[in-house]
Amino acid sequence: MTDHPSRDGAPVTGRGAVLASNLPRAGDAAGLRGSQGGAGPRRTRRGPIDPRLLRRARATRWFLVALVVVGAAGALLTLAQAWLLSRGLSEVFHTRDAAPLGAVVVPLAAVFAGKAALAWLNNLLGQRAAASVKSQLRTDLLRARLERPLDSEASAGGLVTLVTQGLDALDGFYAKYLPQLVLAVVVPAIVGVAILTTDLISTVIVAATLPLIPLFMALVGWTTETRTRRRWALQTRLARHFGDLVEGLPTLQVFGRARAQVEGLRRTEDAHRAETMATLRISFLSALVLELLATISVAIVAVTTGFRVLFGDLDLASALFVLILAPEAYLPVRQVGVHYHDSADGMAAAEAAFALIDPPATTGEVPATAAPAVADAAGPVPLLAVRGLGHTYPGAGGPAVSNVSFAVRRGEFVVLTGPSGGGKTTVLNALIGFVRPTVGDIAVDGVPLSPAALPAWRRRVAYVGQTPGMVAGTIADNARLGDPDASDADVRRALDDAGAPELPLGQPVGDDGEGVSAGERRRIATARALLRIRRGGVDLLLLDEPTAGLDADAEAALLRGLRGTGLAAVVVSHRAAVIAEADAVVEVGA
Amino acid sequence: MNLVLRLLDGVDRPRLRVALAVLLAALASGASVGLMGTSAWMLSRAAELPPEHALALGAVGVRFFGISRGVFRYTERLVGHDLGLRLQSALRLLTYERLARTTLLGRRRGDLLTRVVADVEAILDLVVRVAIPLTSGAVVILGTTVVLGAFNLPSALVLLFTSLLAAVAAPLLANRLSRAADAAAVPARGALADVVHEVSRTAPDLVAYGADGAALAQVEAADAALRRAEQRAAWVRGVAVAIQVAAAGAAVVAALVIGGHAVAEGRLDRTMLAVLVLTPLALHEVFGDFAKAAQTYTRARVALERVEAVLDAEPVGRGDLDAAASDPRPGIDLADATIGWPGGDPLVEHLTLRVGPGERVALVGPSGVGKTTVAATILGLIPPRSGSVAVRGRVGYLAQDAHVFASSVEENVKIGRRDATRAQVTDALARAGLPVDPGLVVGELGSTLSGGERRRLAASRLLVGDYQVVVLDEPSEHLDPETAAALLDDLWASTAGAPTLVITHDPAVVARCDRVVRLGSATAEG
Repeated sequence: MTDHPSRDGAPVTGRGAVLASNLPRAGDAAGLRGSQGGAGPRRTRRGPIDPRLLRRARATRWFLVALVVVGAAGALLTLAQAWLLSRGLSEVFHTRDAAPLGAVVVPLAAVFAGKAALAWLNNLLGQRAAASVKSQLRTDLLRARLERPLDSEASAGGLVTLVTQGLDALDGFYAKYLPQLVLAVVVPAIVGVAILTTDLISTVIVAATLPLIPLFMALVGWTTETRTRRRWALQTRLARHFGDLVEGLPTLQVFGRARAQVEGLRRTEDAHRAETMATLRISFLSALVLELLATISVAIVAVTTGFRVLFGDLDLASALFVLILAPEAYLPVRQVGVHYHDSADGMAAAEAAFALIDPPATTGEVPATAAPAVADAAGPVPLLAVRGLGHTYPGAGGPAVSNVSFAVRRGEFVVLTGPSGGGKTTVLNALIGFVRPTVGDIAVDGVPLSPAALPAWRRRVAYVGQTPGMVAGTIADNARLGDPDASDADVRRALDDAGAPELPLGQPVGDDGEGVSAGERRRIATARALLRIRRGGVDLLLLDEPTAGLDADAEAALLRGLRGTGLAAVVVSHRAAVIAEADAVVEVGA
Repeated sequence: MNLVLRLLDGVDRPRLRVALAVLLAALASGASVGLMGTSAWMLSRAAELPPEHALALGAVGVRFFGISRGVFRYTERLVGHDLGLRLQSALRLLTYERLARTTLLGRRRGDLLTRVVADVEAILDLVVRVAIPLTSGAVVILGTTVVLGAFNLPSALVLLFTSLLAAVAAPLLANRLSRAADAAAVPARGALADVVHEVSRTAPDLVAYGADGAALAQVEAADAALRRAEQRAAWVRGVAVAIQVAAAGAAVVAALVIGGHAVAEGRLDRTMLAVLVLTPLALHEVFGDFAKAAQTYTRARVALERVEAVLDAEPVGRGDLDAAASDPRPGIDLADATIGWPGGDPLVEHLTLRVGPGERVALVGPSGVGKTTVAATILGLIPPRSGSVAVRGRVGYLAQDAHVFASSVEENVKIGRRDATRAQVTDALARAGLPVDPGLVVGELGSTLSGGERRRLAASRLLVGDYQVVVLDEPSEHLDPETAAALLDDLWASTAGAPTLVITHDPAVVARCDRVVRLGSATAEG
């Protein structure tokens, strides 16, 4: 059963939107992707357990076994508790004397102490069971993130939430839900046998009603699945709407429109809440059915045993024993449902994690057409040859870039130019292997660039992106990214050559480049590239708008520095001064 | 909890909703206590072999409690969630209103803002999983004590005492213990979040420079530290849970001992003994709710404290631009102005800047010198620290990083003019060089638009409005020269005669201005 929940999210507030911020969330198909929140609605149904989660459980199977053993031991203690209580109560009832309690109280206290110890053990084992799987998923997620550095599906904030809170929600899955699945069979069996030794009719009642619980749960679950998912989608959408508004506040404020959005926000909230409540009315039905079945069955057992005690068919001790145990037979089955709901967030997070770890194959993954890379008959093999390159992002309507061909010989300065949005950056990203072109090929020294060859190729490239990433630390730490052993003097020289002589090495750089301006960022990244060049082994410079934000003097100095390296370069730029330096200009997307 | 009370004011019929939710929750938990109690009484009474009709009432009671429990629980969950969602809406509105009142332009508060969005959701948990179970649980425990007290006061008091131990003392102790343990895990969690954030933000550079392996090792180290901290926390939490189980057991054992002696001494009807002893077993569910509520409370409190910090923060500046001001002689006039954030260091001192009708003045200066803060001051969003700032007429501002809302292009453009017609929107888009269908929906954060397209969408907001004074912040950044020039042409054609201040690095843009003011030296040229 597969449905498309992102389709059923009809816009609820779009109509009559006077204010620009009324923001109908028609962008769901695209907007809901990418973070933990988007995972719920995107889920395809896989039954109660995702097989991938189960495979991961292998790493932690002994903890899971231990959890089941602890649960079963708990059930045995519950039997002892019921036996001791029913004996003690009926003895006092019949003798009207407190003396028989002496034999009961101490063992009963011991039983409760045992239960307490098991509860402690259960908590400890549960944490261990989930921890190893979470660690594994975290590492896999980050590895996947680094394998696809430009993956726009994973915003930084979304990934952080997923790796921390999101995966923490898996605790419920491994510590409780999985063991409970086994206990839901084991414990009723233990309790059932105990009741059977005492009273056949009660056993029959329990045995007849117990299987109804999973049956009805499945039936109701099936029918409310879409609703539950819809509720997820609604809540996510509402949170995102709010987030979008908050993030856009500075923009709204400069147009004097921030406070005016309150009314629109209120209306959206109200409309969504009404809709959420409508779905809740249905999705809570499964819990209702569960509770009804379990409590009514206990009531039936109580009433029938009561009358059989009255008619002398059953003694009080046995009747009390059955009464205490009957709810315990239903409890583990009911808890499967509870734990399933508790771990739903975790499963959604896991699903989001798996989507990032092994992304679904898209048409974009078709291997680049294998054009034989033969040397140009006319001359030596160029360092880099790009032929018929084109790329279409998954889900995009048309190609971001198409049919780009050029060659870069050693020492050559090639400028990519063209209109904004024409795909220049995409070409640059293909050259460093962040994007795998859907058509055409890229050859390095006449050999097609394969994923396996990428690490070696990247060592030969010095790269400065449009918005270079900054790690927390100092300016020097950032410049040293590709060459951790560079001396302070080398770093200083690289910064000077990159047009940043005023930047002190020790100046702290905060989270996400806080403390340095966009222009400084670019110059630090240029220094990073220069350091790598000085270390040697670099054949190509890849630069995205290296002179944006620089004045004419700084631009000229930087260009001199770049040409001074004598290396081949592919540079994305609009600037006339840069184009004037070019050995070749490639128009992209014109 | 104060926050909840504050939010309840904004909810329709708050008392009724709260009372109803608590009552229904209490009835649902009470039903399982009632089921156990009446069943125990019925079995005991039956053992006295009375006439059959003596059990009739008990049988009715057992069946009633058996059926009503599920129904009460279902309605309680609906009423509770409705209340929780209402409070969540109220909190979102309140947070938004507070944030809207403080000037955010040019302030780096990105992380705080994204976090608040998630933190606000904790209010739902606080209502549904903390407030309602706690109050209703207290009602059930007190109710049970009162009912049992009518039969045997001492054992009712014992029940009350052990219930308090299991429901209040144990969770409180558990909470205190696990709070200490959780607090130890917080830095580890923060460290992991920081590393992940950094790796995610810098992934292309890490990969390009072969630093990905080292980054991954950092992640693994942060994860291992978190794991150790969580292991200690689980140990402690386990102790707390054990205390709770033991307390519940103590309630049962104490009831058995005290009740047994009361029966032996003839102070208690023997049919009530099983009721006394087995009721605490049924209360176990309530105790469990208390424990979960305590844990949820700890988590929700941290999130809501962050929200409250936002709510209670002194507003900076005026937040919203005063859009109504119109003037027959628009212009910008700064005389010996010192500019900076309230409470912060002055960023620009002694700035004298005058832009009159028809004038285009470029404001240049090194990065980080406070050009956007000057813009915020001119817009009137923050007051000058000293000197005078006089701006006459409606000011339109093209931001460097204007937000694109996840909505239609048309809705995005209309931020510049709320009553713009479709034709006006289409016209503005065309003049900004973005000839797209106004109905086109742009995805989250405008991810389907390139940087240049976003800039043009932002510019069309400016073009659609009737602005008398124009402030442009880096208008040519990330645009190719032709598009940038064309955009400037359009902006200047559309705002002809309006005093225009252009913050820029771009020599091509500076060249098209009448005058240049350099920040740092603050002297006007030519």
